[in-house]
Amino acid sequence: MSRRYRQWVKEYQDQAWTVARYILKDAQEAEDATQEAFVKLWNNQDNIDPARVRPWLMKVTRNGCLDRLRRRRDNVEFDESHMPADVSGPMQDAAASETSVRLKRAISALKEPYRSLVVLRDVNQHSYEEVAGMLELSLAQVKTYLHRARKQLREQLSEVRP
Amino acid sequence: MNEYDEKWEEQINALLDGELSSADADLLKAEASDDRELARAIIEAYQLQKAMDAIRVERAPDSLRKRLRAIPRQQRPAPVFRILQPRWVMALAAIPLVVFSVSLMQPEEPSAQEIAKARQDLAIAFAYLDKAGQFTGQEIESTVGNTMSDAIAGSVIRNIKSQNETSKENEA
Repeated sequence: MSRRYRQWVKEYQDQAWTVARYILKDAQEAEDATQEAFVKLWNNQDNIDPARVRPWLMKVTRNGCLDRLRRRRDNVEFDESHMPADVSGPMQDAAASETSVRLKRAISALKEPYRSLVVLRDVNQHSYEEVAGMLELSLAQVKTYLHRARKQLREQLSEVRP
Repeated sequence: MNEYDEKWEEQINALLDGELSSADADLLKAEASDDRELARAIIEAYQLQKAMDAIRVERAPDSLRKRLRAIPRQQRPAPVFRILQPRWVMALAAIPLVVFSVSLMQPEEPSAQEIAKARQDLAIAFAYLDKAGQFTGQEIESTVGNTMSDAIAGSVIRNIKSQNETSKENEA
């Protein structure tokens, strides 16, 4: 196994998985999408600037997930009510905090590109510039969309607060 | 969302991202003290940020980690059947060329029929030469006299006969 690939897996597998998990809301499909992204990384490792691997991988992961969502819509409408109450994966670790669970659900319920923006910026902690590159948006668009996404999340969280 | 909301959203987000100057932050707080809606938005934004801090990157499941580690092994190109490898394809393609080249280099053995035909042609050629020698002798004789004619014609005829005998010896 290439040493640098091993290093990339170690550094980015959790971030790619998180992106896939939030977008697809299905653990098995998220695993498949993440694996596909890393296969592409393996096959293109000589063509990618090592300094740009992380944004490249996140972009490929997200695009793969969106393709899957489109195919899913073309076939059968994914019924989100089938998601278990304590969704495994991203939801599991935060089971102790009801707010976290609600927030994760709220993030998953956001429309694109808001959902990806929040995951990439607020969860994965990418810079605004990186997010703009990944989503092929201007910096101004990223900031504006992110403000709207956060406002929606705030409103949803405040609805359940006493 | 109206223009007012957008303006404050920008300020609130900049505050949370730590990108708001202290002067602008003070201005925002002063505004919030008179605007309950804005104050509530700022508090909720802080609460959201706090909640976000609790849901950092998720750990990939072990099954996925195993799959990702297996990718280099799975993506290794399958061993191609040796006969289909380029060097072997080139070698196979070269075989007819080599056979053809060798066949061109082989000396051709004339058939018995060809030898017989060649002998016949040679005999006819010598007969013509013999006649040509006699005719030449007569021409010379008429021009320079009998003695010179015999010397030249005899030399020609002897030369032809000598070549004819050498040819027969070689054939034998």
